Amino acid sequence: MVDVPGFDIRFSTFEDGLALEKWLDSPGMLHWFPMSAGKELQESIQNWIGFSRFNASLTAVAGGTPCGIGTLFLMPYQKVAHECLFKLIVDPARQRQGIGRSLMENLMHLAKNRFQLEFMHTDVVEGNPILHLLEGLGFYQVLKQDKFFKDDGRYFARHLVECDLRNWRPHGK
Amino acid sequence: MGNKNLIVRSTLAHEDVYLKKWLKEPGVLRWFPMANDREIEDAVRLWIAYTQVGSCITAEYNGIPCGMATLYVQFYKKLAHQCLFSIIVSEFYRGQGIGKALLENLAKLARDKFSIELLHLEVYDGNPAIHLYQREGFVEYGRQSHFIKDNNEYIPKIFMQKSLV
Repeated sequence: MVDVPGFDIRFSTFEDGLALEKWLDSPGMLHWFPMSAGKELQESIQNWIGFSRFNASLTAVAGGTPCGIGTLFLMPYQKVAHECLFKLIVDPARQRQGIGRSLMENLMHLAKNRFQLEFMHTDVVEGNPILHLLEGLGFYQVLKQDKFFKDDGRYFARHLVECDLRNWRPHGK
Repeated sequence: MGNKNLIVRSTLAHEDVYLKKWLKEPGVLRWFPMANDREIEDAVRLWIAYTQVGSCITAEYNGIPCGMATLYVQFYKKLAHQCLFSIIVSEFYRGQGIGKALLENLAKLARDKFSIELLHLEVYDGNPAIHLYQREGFVEYGRQSHFIKDNNEYIPKIFMQKSLV
């Protein structure tokens, strides 16, 4: 249940990259992502929002204003085209209002029904609370790799989590 | 094979032709995610692009390239201390220490030139190269059961790593 007036979800547009940049550049946010500020951030935004041209990205809006983005990074090779990496971000000012869960459910629906994907996966930085959201949606851990990230001289593990979409139903139906 | 005839050196950008040839040898694509010529072209372009940063090496026996390996050096600062790599040896030179020589040189390059602390690889279940990786100190730390789907058969991807520090 999303507790946000005027909430809706639509396909992302290239212009949503502006909101993406603003959220990623907000205090503390980049800790949960592999890129750092500056050139790395700019390049990653281009790559991320670039999947909007395949209609593989969804934007949550509140009263028409973007408040979250979830994107499928479609795989380019046939033998791995049944799965994909995804990324999710919610406006820091709009977190804990159900937006992330709603975006994820819609993204999983898009993955399964439009792109016929069987699996979705993502890398989660150790300590990221999104892990609980993903586990609640049926994601399970494939592996934990210690020392994958090194941020300000400190090491953080990555959790590779995956969801089997073949038997997934929205809202547990 | 006498090791005096084997050298390992930096890969040259025009050596993409060898890489394409080896990838097209019978059965080789079973161990890679690519499935056709277009995908091979794409993967080889990515691989060879790393010659620009000097992270690709070629094994040469009697003056003839017989294998290659590359570090997919990370350009994100937070990931630059660890690195994924790929390796291939021509089918005509397998079982003769080429893979071992490539791995040893690659680890040295990773440590000395790129200050990499953690080297890791992804290999598909059943690939005989797994034994080589184990002998060279790589340890499995996870597997993704349905990573490859080839002719409706799923093949797990095995993740292995080795600390260089």
